[in-house]
Amino acid sequence: MKRLWHSTVTEICLILAISALAGLAWNRTLLTSAWHGGLTQQAEARTEVAAPAADELVPMPIPLAQVKQMRDAREAVIVDARSATFFAQGHIDGAVLLPLEDAKKSAGALTGKFAKDATIITYCNGFSCHDSMELGKLLMQAGYSSVYVYEGGFPEWRDAGYPVATGGA
Amino acid sequence: MGAIFIYAAILKIADPVGFAGSIAAYKILPYFASYLTAAILPFVELVCGVLLVTGYRVRGGALIIGLLNLVFIAALASAIVRGLDIDCGCFKQGGAKTSPWLALLRDLLFLAMTVLVLKTESRKRISSPPLPTLAEDEG
Repeated sequence: MKRLWHSTVTEICLILAISALAGLAWNRTLLTSAWHGGLTQQAEARTEVAAPAADELVPMPIPLAQVKQMRDAREAVIVDARSATFFAQGHIDGAVLLPLEDAKKSAGALTGKFAKDATIITYCNGFSCHDSMELGKLLMQAGYSSVYVYEGGFPEWRDAGYPVATGGA
Repeated sequence: MGAIFIYAAILKIADPVGFAGSIAAYKILPYFASYLTAAILPFVELVCGVLLVTGYRVRGGALIIGLLNLVFIAALASAIVRGLDIDCGCFKQGGAKTSPWLALLRDLLFLAMTVLVLKTESRKRISSPPLPTLAEDEG
């Protein structure tokens, strides 16, 4: 009986170790992004960062609490990637409208849209919506280095009871 | 049972950011831990699912799946208690929303199935003689 448990525990440890290694290897880019994203937010340091490598042109994810904190402190420009119709129905108070479709059509005009060293947070309709990620990538390609994606998006923000505005941009 | 976990794992592996978002929505784990869990958990499900389907090292795989189900049940129960209206994040991320109650019932069913798998496995062990290699290891 003791032997059986011993071999079972060994089995479980082996399975977990193999799975963890596979998961870490498969998602190494994502984890590196998430780790650096967290560190950047904690450091709050404005340092001269070297030009990002091609595989780093993915916006960092950012959670609700930090979006609220950075919005309240006016440390970031909040950008709504949804259509003007959704924006008019309700958006994060203080957000600016920049639909992904418009950004795609005039990608060249993105360069001068915000201050070059601005911290930008994009969002759309929550975790099922990928427009904010796409817009974030476009902004990074346009030369903005401090771009974050708030994946919880408008639904999470609204449900948290944080300030919401309606109407045009 | 194994096939269900393989299916769930593949959907999550295909969309790790979406799964991290689902984990974050439970508001249990801190920021980076959500991503770490989203990176590793689907692979645990995948490996255990494959073990169950192939019949190799079933006991270890089934025990992990059972433990995972207990963790899922605890997380879902806490979401229900806190009144969180979230998608369980069990299968396809960002698809049709599955309520925590339905997910909880489903996980209870999975847990019962896991117990059944473990019972069948132990019966097999009792009825079949031990492998000579294992006996030699200890001898």
